[in-house]
Amino acid sequence: MVTIDLSRTDITTANTRIRDCGRDRQDVEIINPDARHNIGVGLVEPITVRVRGSAGYFCGGLSDSAHYEIEHNAGWAVGDNIYSGSVVVGGNAGAIAGVAIRGAEIVVRGNMGSRAGQVMKAGTLCCGGNAAFMAGYMMYGGRIIVLGDAAAKVGQDMSAGEIFVGGKIESLGNDTMIVDMEPGERDDIMAFLERYKLNYKGDFTKIINAGKKLRYANQEPRARPQPFFVSSNSNNYWNPKVQEDIWIKGEVGRYRIRGYGASKPVPHLNDIAFVKDVTAVHYKPEDLKDINLKTTIGGRYGAKPLSLSMPVMIAPMSFGALSRSVKIALARASRLSGISENTGEGGMLDEARAEADQLIFQCLSGRLGWNVKDMQRADAIEIYISQGAKPGLGGQLMAKKVTPELAAIRGIPVGIDLRSPSRHPDVLGADDLVIKVQEFREATMHKVPLGIKMGAGRVNDDIKIAYKDGFDFVELDGLQGSTGAASTEVLENVGIPTLSAVQEAVDGLKEINAGDDMDLVMMGGIKDGVDVVKMLALGADCTSVGTSAIIAGGCIACMQCHVGTCPVGIATQDKVHEARYDIDLQSQNIHRYFESLRWQIASITKALGYDDVHRVNRDDLVALTPEAADITGLPLLSEHPALHKPELGLEVLNRKAG
Amino acid sequence: MTVVDANFSITARADLKDDTTDIHYVPAPCQVACPIGTDAPSYIAYIWEGKNEEALEAINATNPFSAICGRVCDAPCEPACRRADSDGAIAIRNLKRYVLEALGPGHSLPPVAVTQEKTVAVVGAGPAGMTAAHDLAEAGYEVHLYEASDQLGGMMFWGIPRFRLPQSAVQQDIDRITAHCPGIKVHLNTALGEQVSLDELKQKHDVVLLTIGAFVGKPMGIPGEAAPFVEDGVGFLYRVNAGERPTLPATVLVIGGGDVAMDACRVARRLPGVKNVKVIYRRDYAAMPARREELQGAIDEGIEIVYNTQPVEVIDGKALRCVRTELGEPGADGRRRPVNVEGSEHDIECGMVIAAVGQKTECAELDNAGLMDWDRVNTDLEGMTTADARVFAAGDGAFGGSTIVEAMYQGHRAAYYMKAFLEGNESPLPYRTPYRTRRVAICNDPDWEINPRVHQEFHGLGQVPIEFPEIESTYTAAEAKSEAARCFRCDAETGSADYTVSSRESIFAMARIEPGDTERQASILDSRLENRVNPFDQAHLATLDDLVFLPANLSRLVIDPYREGCVTATRLGANSGLDLDIPFTVAGFDDAPNEIREAVAKSIQQHGAAYVGARPIGAGARWIQIVSTETDAEADAVVFDADRAMADDAFSGGSAAQPVGLLVNSANVRAAVDFALERHLDFLLLDPGNGLPGLAGELAGAPDISILRRAVARLRELDREEEIDLIYFGGLRTGTDAAKALALGAIAVTVGAAMALALGADISGGNPVFDADLDAAEREERSYNLLQAFTAEASMMARCTGKTNLQNLEPEDLRAITLIVSHAAGVPMAGSLHQH
Repeated sequence: MVTIDLSRTDITTANTRIRDCGRDRQDVEIINPDARHNIGVGLVEPITVRVRGSAGYFCGGLSDSAHYEIEHNAGWAVGDNIYSGSVVVGGNAGAIAGVAIRGAEIVVRGNMGSRAGQVMKAGTLCCGGNAAFMAGYMMYGGRIIVLGDAAAKVGQDMSAGEIFVGGKIESLGNDTMIVDMEPGERDDIMAFLERYKLNYKGDFTKIINAGKKLRYANQEPRARPQPFFVSSNSNNYWNPKVQEDIWIKGEVGRYRIRGYGASKPVPHLNDIAFVKDVTAVHYKPEDLKDINLKTTIGGRYGAKPLSLSMPVMIAPMSFGALSRSVKIALARASRLSGISENTGEGGMLDEARAEADQLIFQCLSGRLGWNVKDMQRADAIEIYISQGAKPGLGGQLMAKKVTPELAAIRGIPVGIDLRSPSRHPDVLGADDLVIKVQEFREATMHKVPLGIKMGAGRVNDDIKIAYKDGFDFVELDGLQGSTGAASTEVLENVGIPTLSAVQEAVDGLKEINAGDDMDLVMMGGIKDGVDVVKMLALGADCTSVGTSAIIAGGCIACMQCHVGTCPVGIATQDKVHEARYDIDLQSQNIHRYFESLRWQIASITKALGYDDVHRVNRDDLVALTPEAADITGLPLLSEHPALHKPELGLEVLNRKAG
Repeated sequence: MTVVDANFSITARADLKDDTTDIHYVPAPCQVACPIGTDAPSYIAYIWEGKNEEALEAINATNPFSAICGRVCDAPCEPACRRADSDGAIAIRNLKRYVLEALGPGHSLPPVAVTQEKTVAVVGAGPAGMTAAHDLAEAGYEVHLYEASDQLGGMMFWGIPRFRLPQSAVQQDIDRITAHCPGIKVHLNTALGEQVSLDELKQKHDVVLLTIGAFVGKPMGIPGEAAPFVEDGVGFLYRVNAGERPTLPATVLVIGGGDVAMDACRVARRLPGVKNVKVIYRRDYAAMPARREELQGAIDEGIEIVYNTQPVEVIDGKALRCVRTELGEPGADGRRRPVNVEGSEHDIECGMVIAAVGQKTECAELDNAGLMDWDRVNTDLEGMTTADARVFAAGDGAFGGSTIVEAMYQGHRAAYYMKAFLEGNESPLPYRTPYRTRRVAICNDPDWEINPRVHQEFHGLGQVPIEFPEIESTYTAAEAKSEAARCFRCDAETGSADYTVSSRESIFAMARIEPGDTERQASILDSRLENRVNPFDQAHLATLDDLVFLPANLSRLVIDPYREGCVTATRLGANSGLDLDIPFTVAGFDDAPNEIREAVAKSIQQHGAAYVGARPIGAGARWIQIVSTETDAEADAVVFDADRAMADDAFSGGSAAQPVGLLVNSANVRAAVDFALERHLDFLLLDPGNGLPGLAGELAGAPDISILRRAVARLRELDREEEIDLIYFGGLRTGTDAAKALALGAIAVTVGAAMALALGADISGGNPVFDADLDAAEREERSYNLLQAFTAEASMMARCTGKTNLQNLEPEDLRAITLIVSHAAGVPMAGSLHQH
């Protein structure tokens, strides 16, 4: 037994020593815990940690196979996301005890706070006293045992799992029902209670999901998209697209769903031009070898930054929205081109981890596929707050894609229309987020960069909070960002254009004198090297490419990703359809696309007169439309002080497609 | 403009019918792979729509030999098809055949009159010659077609066996050409150098095209091949196509790996006496030039293919001596050369050898004129010219044995340059294949992703092989539709203004070029640097589309739209109130058929909404009366026309319980606000287009959304915003539109045309006509669903912005993305608010 005195040790040092003890298979005793946050976070060895007192937030969180005994009380989110092992709290636990657990046994001898077991996937959460409101909120599996009373809305929006309540139930949550216990179930519970020396002789009321909200009531008829110009407003206000939408809503009684991002025209990077003529460059690879494109992301607090061969990442896209084959191809292409891949929601595939040199692991509200082991083998961690395609909504995966294989990695029931929560269970505001950031730092030993992903809204405010909450980088996604499934209303109408987003982010960071500490990665409609260089000139440090990488790998842009029967095997979990995707061929195509992007970035950088892409700046740009000028503050071409002279060859800037 | 595709790039622009300047169109890979640029996506889409005649026009426009190509084209389109990599290419060729068979032989395009004085001679009526004749006749020239044999069609008639291409198909195409081009004058049995001389042709005509084909088999170049035991493939096919059905020895060897070899072996297989046919080919399977389908057909008919085997000597009457080969270094043509394996000599016993190792051209007349280069007419591909300025050449006779579609390409190309010559244009822009689109809508087949390729029925040898029955049949209408549904429509504009078809193709191109290919990289970059047409130009209207909601992230807490509630209840009327469960009212059904009114009434009642109209809609639905003469005591609220009310000030407020409002339009909004406040009225119903109670005004176009800003601005100016409620009507197409109107200051909205559309109204005449085939239950469901969907959409917007009550939406939740809307709605531009 090793004793650690938290009155004399900071938490990071303490957690390092706990891990060392784990390797030596020595149990640990924490004295003077002082309700410190993040005690024992990130421990993945089968030892016992005894907390002689009370613990703060996230005690025992993000751990696997360890045992924790807390003598007194535990703060919020005790046992967060535990894979296996146990936590026993001698006193009371705060809110969201056992949040997102994927196994393990959590026993609270006293009372537990609200939303206990939120989004839990497996394991047992047991409370000797009373549970506050919404116990089992949005749980996907496992069981909750409450020996005392349960407050309002027990099992609110649970998808699966069981809740057993010994005492009174104030009210049931949405989509739940009371059922009889199955044979043997009571014996199992009694054996569990025995093991933890909880004395209970009474009966239980069993609550499960009622199955009324797991699927959309009626399916939207399939419809291939009409050409976007059909719904151009100068064309016809009550156009055929509008008519189709209304007709289908009359049939299904709800919003329509599709893949991809905003389809209407919005001000974008192609409303901006370079002040120099960069056309007709024919640089050979050797002409460009001295142009620096190298980009490091996430070094703000001393973590090992991502080291990218150019200011480009692959955007977060999930295994789920995309087939396994596509995730493998993207990971391989990222390695071949020296950039990073991102898991998106829904867990890390072993094959993708093996293929990618640099892999960002994304943490979403539903904690689907989230676990400490994959965190510890990631090269960066990213907390998802929202995305450009559907800010405000959680991830959405239609039932056709929720196959047994996919459900297993995410820890959810098979065949539901999965709609992830909109908020993190343990992040209700900027203050919680600070502690969440610390928890992730502890779980990854402060070694990997920590980023935040946001869809662009009130960017000017949000970016300042992200900065102050201590993130290493921000991945900011504009209105044009794509997705595998979302309400078309949200796709088209929620969030601001990528161009507006970058401008607000740069302005916001300037307003708090943030310098260039926190890296800004912009995404949402980045298609080519032209867009990348313009984005950097506007102030981004890096860009992220999703849809274009998918198109490079064979996507035909039919926008029917949500249906699950992708004709080219990309947005599908159907094995027959996935077989249409040739990993070797498409990973090479994606790789070539990135190499073409690289050539474009380097060529434009050189043509603009720089030897480093990070030196491009606003002076290199001019706005072509009043909208672009207004959003960015760039001079409008017709008013540009240096460019209004015809002898400068402005026909290049003024060229119109077609 | 530069068009970039995975397969090609065009810079110059010859004067041809072509649609590549359309920014919403990129030629599909199948179209690019076709030497004559066949608009396959359009004809496939027409087939799905059941429009076979339109499909034929699309096919025929560049391909005069449609019936023939529907059967025997080597179809380079199919390997290029993007679906080939997925679950099999679209059966583009057989779909073509389907159209031709579905329409029958009677169809042709309208005749083209001769309008030019100059005349043209074309020597040889094969695919190259007849295509050129067709094009020149279409241009108004009289074309004289001189053919040595007694048949038109060239190799299509003499070279392809009837079981693959029945004579009727050849005749059908020829008839179609001659009907369409009466200016083509045919001279059969007129061989060059025998019945007619080159000099005569040059005297009679202004220009001559030599499309004399390659009808002479090349020798194998091995000892003993002069023996009668050996026959050349082209000659063999010629005599069989002339009607001979010779009895052959039991074992026949065919030498070669091209299409002639395939045809020859399959013909031999059908002839009497033959038991065994083997094809001897010097390279391997992968290197074999024959179309895969023909090779497979041959194998399916029981023909043995012997790969990697090279004949070295003919042993007359007995056998062919061969050696085994291995593939060595690539030769000049880039293909790996077969290298003989030492000591592998062996004899293959046989009764006959058919040598199908290539064809060549012979013509003494042209030899004498100095126009030949060994075994072909000496032709410059650049302008299709020969040494004689007035003599052009094309086809197999000029460039060696090739495919029908390649010959047609050469025919088009030659016609282009000959036409320029005839017009006195000495240096025309270079010819290129034109690409056209008929802009057919993408088919909306629910199974387009799932349908497997439909295979055509294969009959092989048939019941009586010697009669050469056709080896396969085409699709039924249902099969054709199912196959047509599979087309990805690579040519068509996408549904996204961001990832347009041209953006997608640029990305495709970037993904398919080697990093070191600087020329192609530069060409793509240039196309990416082209500025788009400003989507927000003068024609762009100020609509709610250009407003976006600001989502909650860190600075606000988002409310989960999937699970958490949002209050929708609304109290209308600042003084005496009308309570609504949702902030929606419906208008425009005063004159609708009773069945429609009943459905709308029920849904209004069920949702706790209200109806706005001159008369009540029934079913107990709440009613806001648009008063024309007198108020109705049954109305839950009353609204008077603002102009009339202000003019005579003679409106009565009905009963005390009835909230009173004014119907306000764009012209009178400011005065109406003042007037209503003065009279302490409850609400203003904003109808910018002055259309209520009908829907024609709303359907006329985009509404003037600035009415909301102007009403709110006036109220704020007077600091009396809380004293009166605004209801907005006009152009609401979604619940999101409604949420925007609420955020801009309305307390409720009125839906009109959208409800009519949900009930299947045809609005093409400007007023809704309810002609959809719906029963009462469907009408009720649709009407109910629309209000349900709109309410859900509106409250989804509220929750995304962090609101739990629809009435809490405010202008600060919005940003504009265009200046025109920023001004019209009084909402700042996204991104520009914080700039210094």
